[in-house]
Amino acid sequence: MPALRELQQALADAIFTREPARFAARVRSTGLPGAARLQVYQNNVFISLAQALADVYPVVERLVGEEFFHQSARAFIRRCPSRSGNLHDFGRELAMFLRGLPDARHLPYLGDVAALEWAYHEVFHAADAAPLDVERLAQVSEDAQDRLRFRLHPATRLVASGFPVLAIWEANLGDEPPGAQIDLDAGADYLLVARRDLDRVVQRLTQGEFALLAEIAGGATLARACDRATAADPATDIEAAVRRFVADRTIAGFHHF
Amino acid sequence: MASRPLEVGASIPARAGIGLRAPHYRDVLDLLPRVGWLEVHSENYFGAGGRPLYYLERVRAQYPISLHGVGLSLGSTDALDLLHLSKLKELIDRIEPCFVSDHLAWSSVNGRYLNDLLPLPYTEEALAHFGRRVEQVQEFLGRKILVENPSSYLQYCESSIPEWEFLRAVAEITGCGILLDVNNVYVSAANHGFDARRYVDSIPARFVAEIHLAGFTRNVTNSGEILIDTHSKPVAEEVWPLYARVLDRIGEVPTLVEWDTDLPPLTRLVAEAHRADSVMEYRRARAA
Repeated sequence: MPALRELQQALADAIFTREPARFAARVRSTGLPGAARLQVYQNNVFISLAQALADVYPVVERLVGEEFFHQSARAFIRRCPSRSGNLHDFGRELAMFLRGLPDARHLPYLGDVAALEWAYHEVFHAADAAPLDVERLAQVSEDAQDRLRFRLHPATRLVASGFPVLAIWEANLGDEPPGAQIDLDAGADYLLVARRDLDRVVQRLTQGEFALLAEIAGGATLARACDRATAADPATDIEAAVRRFVADRTIAGFHHF
Repeated sequence: MASRPLEVGASIPARAGIGLRAPHYRDVLDLLPRVGWLEVHSENYFGAGGRPLYYLERVRAQYPISLHGVGLSLGSTDALDLLHLSKLKELIDRIEPCFVSDHLAWSSVNGRYLNDLLPLPYTEEALAHFGRRVEQVQEFLGRKILVENPSSYLQYCESSIPEWEFLRAVAEITGCGILLDVNNVYVSAANHGFDARRYVDSIPARFVAEIHLAGFTRNVTNSGEILIDTHSKPVAEEVWPLYARVLDRIGEVPTLVEWDTDLPPLTRLVAEAHRADSVMEYRRARAA
């Protein structure tokens, strides 16, 4: 192996395993011991990655407390390391990680709150899109309608949970202590996370509306998405829902290849 | 060597600029501070939409912009991340920056990112590797990039070339420009016991396209003292004479004041930039 690659692997390993002694002998100790010098990089790496997580997941941090959050962050950084030079890409798997964390079992909704926060983060950075061309949509011929597929705006995410995660999230966004008690048995949440102009919103959907958008997001034809929405909730007013999602730009395009 | 001439980018005045951070977006557009240009971290705008790009495009309409990267992992022995490069290229096409820069450093190996600027060993092998990487990036982007000297906290036993010679050789081999971070030179010199003046004196003027100034933090531990490049303070008093020394030798260069941790009010940041302007003006007056 080329010496440079070997060195990079050895240093990265020493930093991730938090065992600087393994690399210290390869570092000059003039003025300050090699181990202390490695410690600076170790601190920088873990502090900046943990800070990136704290920036994306303020509510998770508030729910578990700062100390538990940072302890979990250090474990997460090693288990699901950053795979991108863009720090905004880091932390996608935190919901999954928290769901499998034995010490967090007393907060069964924690993973779902993390999923909501990740969606909220992604929607901040997602691309812009022009609104759907309603006149072109009206011109789609009847025999092409079977193949009609809508496209969601890139800044759109769907989050479903068996817990009232929206109420939990809203109650923990600010610094003030949460007001009313949240009833964990209040029922499931079907949420749309989206951008309206520059601002992010989280909206509650019916189960039928959620199924409609989830099918569209998955690439289904409109016909199939309607079937699924009606199956999820027979009372779904599909036409009204589609009109609303086109008007608020949740649906931003279509094709009928 | 690049097979075709590389575009340098739109012109930029030899004046001080400031780093643009999200909390200052509105103030910059409302106050239009008297600075020559602004610099942003490229990766903050890779999302191709929403609030960051909305404000960057409006600021771009008023000022030249420089795109400064922290994520290319130029020195890594992994393959270059083409997705990352494509996003950078899209941003370049959209913003038409005056400069595109990244660091003499690496931040990933085996696909695992540390998202930090780790130093290279300064060896012939690393020089050949780093030179190829800069050439690949310049080819992909179709333009020259600037390479910045990082602050460093360790030196490898196997390093055989002083950093200033390594950096100069990279510029000679690849045709890239140098972003000379005077604060980083000061910090690394203090941490490794070399002479900062010797470092800056040996960088040829023709390579230096941009200068960075920033504040550092002094960390005192049981085993000794180390300076950390934190960007959390005004430029240290000890760094200003080094900056003046650079200008005396190479002339006026666009100079960025970086202060992005414990971000001050915009007016305070602009005042720090004006101090750099006044150093340049003093030189000009003396020369006249």
